[in-house]
Amino acid sequence: MTGSTEGPRYVELQATSHFSFLRGASSCEDLFDQAALSGIEALAIVDRNSVAGIVRAHEAAKVTGVRLIVGCRLDLMDGSGVLVYPTDRLAYARLCRLLSLGKRRAGKAKCNLDWEDLPDFAEGLIGVLVPDQADEVCAHRLRRLEATFTAGAYLALSLRRRPGDAMRLHNLANLAAHARVQPVVTNDVLFHHPERRQLQDVVTCVRHGCTIDELGFRRERHADRHLKKPEEMHRLFAKYPEALARTLQIADRCRFSLEELKYQYPDEVSTAGMTPQATLEGLTWEGADRRYPEGVPDKVQAILRHELGLIQTLEYAPYFLTVNSIVRFARSQDILCQGRGSAANSAVCYVLGITSIDPERNDLLFERFVSEERREPPDIDVDFEHERREIVMQWVYETYGRNHAALCSTVIRYRTRGAIRDVGKALGLPEDLTRMLSSQTWGWSEGVQPKHAEELNLNLGDRRLRLTLDLARQLMGAPRHLSQHPGGFVLTHDRLDELVPIEPAAMKDRQVIEWDKDDIDALKFMKVDCLALGMMSCMKRGLDLLRVHKAIDLDLATIPAEDPRTYAMIRKADTLGVFQIESRAQMAMLPRIKPRTFYDLVIEVAIVRPGPIQGDMVHPYLRRREGKEPVVFPKPELEKVLGKTLGVPLFQEQAMRVAIECAGFTAGEADQLRRAMATFKHTGGVSGFKDKLVGGMVERGYDLEFAEKTFSQLEGFGSYGFPESHAASFALIAYASSWLKCHHPDVFCAALLNAQPMGFYAPAQIVRDARDHGVEIRPVCVNASRWDCALEPTDHPDRFAMRLGLRQVRGLSNDDAAAIVLARGEQAFTSVDDVWRRASVPAASLVKIAEADGFRPSMVLARREALWAIKALRDEPLPLFAAASAREQAIVPEVDEPEVALKPMKAGREVVEDYGHTGLTLREHPVTFLRPDLARDRFMTCAAASAGKDFQNCRVAGLVLVRQRPGSAKNVTFITLEDETGVANLVVWEQVYEKHRRTVLTASMLGAVGRIQREGDVVHVVAYKLIDLSAELASLGQRDTPFPLPHGRGDEFHRSPSRPDPRTPTISLKTRNFH
Amino acid sequence: MPAAQARAVCAELVAHDADPEGDADALDRLALWALKLYAPIVAADPPAGLVIDASGAAHLFGGEDALLADMVARLATAGFTARAAMAGSWGAAHALARFIHAPTTIVPSDQSGRAIAHLPTWALRLPEGMADALGKMGIDTVGEIEATPRAPLALRFGPELTRRLDQAHGRASEPIEPVEAPELIQVRRMFAEPIGAPETLARYTLQLVKALCEALEAKGLGARTLDMRFHRVDDRIEVIRVGMAKPVRDITRLTRLLCDKLETVDPGFGVETMVLAAPMAEPLPWKQVSTDLAEAPTPDVADLVDTLANRLGAGRLYRAAPAQSDVPERSVRRIEPTAAPAGETWPARWPRPTRLLPRPERIETLALLPDQPPTAFTWRGVRRRVKRADGPERIFGEWWRRDGEVDAVRDYFQLEDEAGERFWVFRRGDGEQPATGDFTWFLHGLFG
Repeated sequence: MTGSTEGPRYVELQATSHFSFLRGASSCEDLFDQAALSGIEALAIVDRNSVAGIVRAHEAAKVTGVRLIVGCRLDLMDGSGVLVYPTDRLAYARLCRLLSLGKRRAGKAKCNLDWEDLPDFAEGLIGVLVPDQADEVCAHRLRRLEATFTAGAYLALSLRRRPGDAMRLHNLANLAAHARVQPVVTNDVLFHHPERRQLQDVVTCVRHGCTIDELGFRRERHADRHLKKPEEMHRLFAKYPEALARTLQIADRCRFSLEELKYQYPDEVSTAGMTPQATLEGLTWEGADRRYPEGVPDKVQAILRHELGLIQTLEYAPYFLTVNSIVRFARSQDILCQGRGSAANSAVCYVLGITSIDPERNDLLFERFVSEERREPPDIDVDFEHERREIVMQWVYETYGRNHAALCSTVIRYRTRGAIRDVGKALGLPEDLTRMLSSQTWGWSEGVQPKHAEELNLNLGDRRLRLTLDLARQLMGAPRHLSQHPGGFVLTHDRLDELVPIEPAAMKDRQVIEWDKDDIDALKFMKVDCLALGMMSCMKRGLDLLRVHKAIDLDLATIPAEDPRTYAMIRKADTLGVFQIESRAQMAMLPRIKPRTFYDLVIEVAIVRPGPIQGDMVHPYLRRREGKEPVVFPKPELEKVLGKTLGVPLFQEQAMRVAIECAGFTAGEADQLRRAMATFKHTGGVSGFKDKLVGGMVERGYDLEFAEKTFSQLEGFGSYGFPESHAASFALIAYASSWLKCHHPDVFCAALLNAQPMGFYAPAQIVRDARDHGVEIRPVCVNASRWDCALEPTDHPDRFAMRLGLRQVRGLSNDDAAAIVLARGEQAFTSVDDVWRRASVPAASLVKIAEADGFRPSMVLARREALWAIKALRDEPLPLFAAASAREQAIVPEVDEPEVALKPMKAGREVVEDYGHTGLTLREHPVTFLRPDLARDRFMTCAAASAGKDFQNCRVAGLVLVRQRPGSAKNVTFITLEDETGVANLVVWEQVYEKHRRTVLTASMLGAVGRIQREGDVVHVVAYKLIDLSAELASLGQRDTPFPLPHGRGDEFHRSPSRPDPRTPTISLKTRNFH
Repeated sequence: MPAAQARAVCAELVAHDADPEGDADALDRLALWALKLYAPIVAADPPAGLVIDASGAAHLFGGEDALLADMVARLATAGFTARAAMAGSWGAAHALARFIHAPTTIVPSDQSGRAIAHLPTWALRLPEGMADALGKMGIDTVGEIEATPRAPLALRFGPELTRRLDQAHGRASEPIEPVEAPELIQVRRMFAEPIGAPETLARYTLQLVKALCEALEAKGLGARTLDMRFHRVDDRIEVIRVGMAKPVRDITRLTRLLCDKLETVDPGFGVETMVLAAPMAEPLPWKQVSTDLAEAPTPDVADLVDTLANRLGAGRLYRAAPAQSDVPERSVRRIEPTAAPAGETWPARWPRPTRLLPRPERIETLALLPDQPPTAFTWRGVRRRVKRADGPERIFGEWWRRDGEVDAVRDYFQLEDEAGERFWVFRRGDGEQPATGDFTWFLHGLFG
């Protein structure tokens, strides 16, 4: 494509991508594809005050063969626009620093630059002024431009398709000649194809926050902003051949490519006088002695030597040292952390204490982590307690310096809901309508379909509605703004702001770079992920509680391994609340996998993933495991790769190895395949490998059918298969939390509640589960509760009761709770009045405690009585009475009130209030109160359903705990119902789901008519018909308000999926991405 | 429930926008209606009620039952579903009318308290949120409030609760501030002999206007509409109506406006009575005339507007204002003759013709595709050679309005012929894609 000498030549110097948020309407990929089609040989991406899109553009350029010219459009404070293009690496560094300067001044997502700032950074940059009219203002700006960029100063000539176009160009060219600035043709491209004009208008509306009817002259009023062919450009600018030729000259001068960005590891401060490698080796052997006090096993020694050798060859020692210092700092602050991801394949990481997978007991594949062929920086992700990670992050900034450390950004892209909302608003649809419409959609891929609108009785004949659906589909995937990555640090030796612009983040004291983690990956920068994991906080709290109350001192690595009781519990799928294996799908799998060893758990974590499920690997694996199917390997090399997993690829690295061993891929190609599978946007990319893989396998003697099957298995993987080491790291946390739950359910429950929100389940289920395990739960009490849930001694010395903390009281602030606990001290409160005076918290906070029934346990005041008493409190105690109270050392009541007998609350109402104000109840289950009615309607209990016979017809009803629609199994919805006897698991097939879509999406209590399906110990109810019982549930409170049923985070319907929660890298999150 | 959700439940749902002001006005009118018909003390009880002091009024209808029944029935014929209750106090009647599901309820004065005891607390017209707060304490009915000691209640819920309670029980007085029917300003003149000659009618019109203006001036009002009725000897009534943009009580102006319409009156065998009324009148205070010599008084075109509007019909008089649209037909909108300027302008750099043809007219042209201006064109049979041209100005259809405009493009050119006349022409389509238009040419405007 490049350098075609036939026909006219033209380089487009002004193309705006959609990384100029809500301005450009096309992606870099679209622009480059179109440029390739049109025969444009090079394309400059100039986004507004940003180079956020250029890595994507760089990649697109590599694919299409159209050269990328790195550029940026500076919008200066006086309103002038200057396009700048670095000619070399140094000029690019200056551009980055210029942008960093402007962003630092202006704050997040803004940039504040003026002409005065430019001269310091202008060396090596080419500057093109984007003029308006050929007037005095323009002449003045041209003079400034000329003074700033001297030989690199140009004036852009663009057609506007407005009256006086020819005259304007003529005058501009004259003006340029006068100012000794050369004119150059640009086309001011906003979208790649004329069809995108509508979308462009829509994003302009979104930017201005108005509807298309109100937009008026704020539209982009210069027409024809799509990419045009060189012939067309030559025709349009026939009078300016030199200005056309100049596009090529500029392109020729701007030879800077992102390939030139060299990454430098930061120096570790502690390595005075020693090479990094020597330091690392010293630390490694020291660590090994610590890890293996009885002597380092030979096997481990060999592995360590091998790894250190490889690290030396690839010069990765500084990187290991960096991660080591971060982890060491966290340890010094007593912050629990553990490495995950491929790093767990490294014995060095283990002995340094970064990861916890013991190489002695596990087979590690170091090459998955670092490989000589791939030559790319290793990727160590470390999970920290989510509540205290900020300490680590600030330490990183301070230690490495703010010019050398910053977080990656995350590109927030439009998903279905956001697209519908914004497009609908722009087209003037009422907000409630767009909200309804978006509530009908689920995740990425489901998209907005006409059937959703029909479901809502919406009139698809309505033009605006049709346009909305159509344009929303186009908008999906477009970036909306940059946000910060949850924890991906980029650390450099050289100034970071010479590699990429840095901007301040919304959060105080944080700064982010303009590129996201895929960009960093593509450029092979080193990144340390400091992730926050809720379960780490939970484990930390749990281990602390163990130490304090039971005098058991453990950490993640010293928790007794391979404990049979723990595995027995896991096999029963009694795993509510534990890490990873608590979801419906995982629980259903546990009794089939029957984990007995740690490696079984690793498989368990890896197998319930969209990848293996999509690739149809689960059932073959299970059949082989149960001995129902022989384990066969068509070729011995396959046995080598897949032996551990009975011939079924379950892990990412196995997929890669299959490609290498069986289809003759090089390691590099296999890695490309993995990447292609990982980036969901390029779904077409994977298929490109199909011919190669299938062809390669057939060539090597596999039959075609087997090859096709293998490919479809691999295709299913995407990024949704785990690498083995990652699965192992997660399995370790899963095991540790299971062990805690198994042996210390009291500690586990308290730790889990204190680490909320996290996991799949709401506090109500966690508490209920703990009670089922014999833990005594004590209610919130103003005289006993602290902020956190705490353990209290019981008659039995080993058993502790758990006291719910004030954190369970909805709406109560931590400060007020602390004030109450502090004021309480050793002397219990005697009355509401007493609490109010001693703790001096606002009456509103006391109301919240009263509503949570926190005055009953110690003061025997029912909700209403407590509220009655609080209602009588004023803003301030009367001074005279306060003085009297102080003197008497006791409360002197201000008024002698007649006794008022309040009507006691009905039991059902108490339960409703419990749910409403603490999210759980220690009283009867709400369904208990409806049981007579349900029995009359022949509904059986969940327990009865679970004990039912296979194929038996049944009717069950219960609160809707979790609704899940795994991306892997598109046509199934799992619903968990709960009643007073237990839970029942519903399976809703697509047909039934479509028929009862609204009920599934909205009901808080469901009745189901269906058939029992029994697979060993696992019982599902396959529903034929669903009945919305929400009204019955609401009637409990005898009020017209819906039942305040709290939903756990596992309930995918209830959560807004627009923002992934960074703290739970659990299945739910990844699953949603998969849609 | 949001409207969209409601529609999802019921497809046939007909939705109307809420109009609280309109509702309040209608309620006021209903109050006036009740005032004329039932009792001298009536007030609107927003948002959806009327309160009537029916003391001494019931016997006129044959008893209280009959009164209420009559009221409910009459309202039903007017399309209102109504419930009526009669009790010893406003509060009690208010509660009963809203919470007893019967068309009419009558409770003797001494039994009001008992009758409302089982009603929920929000029947008491309590401030926002108080009924909920009471509910939290387990106090759900009026009777339960009554049964609770007053001092603790007042301490917790303030005096408003006990005040409302007392009002409902008739222990505290609650005066009704009745509506008053506004007096219709009108003057009439009866003739001993029927009149019919136009000049006679005009003369008496002047006299009636004089009398009306005196009445208006006495109240400081000006008329916005005038109705003049001519009662003919054959018992038919002829009516003319004039409207004014601003309140007016200028005798000459009003007379002229009325006389302009006299020709539409058919006096038949003669008119015996003329009535002039000002059904819509607004305050019009006296204003000091500026005595400053330097300051020219701002011209008042309201008179002209009124005259024209009454002659041509109100809808036909408008002013043009710029609108923010690139499509020439839509770049102008009509505004009220006396409306303030909208403050919008077209971009000065992009000139538009001084005259826009009401409909673009087909022209024959010679032009090169895709975007060259015509070299010659024929309009209304006259062939013109193009000397100078500018363009194209590319104007896209407004895709959000109609399907037909999604792809539509017009390329506009300014052309100057040899005589120096300048024209605004366009071609449908961008000259490349047939989907954008059929490449036919039109003349759309003339530059001055």
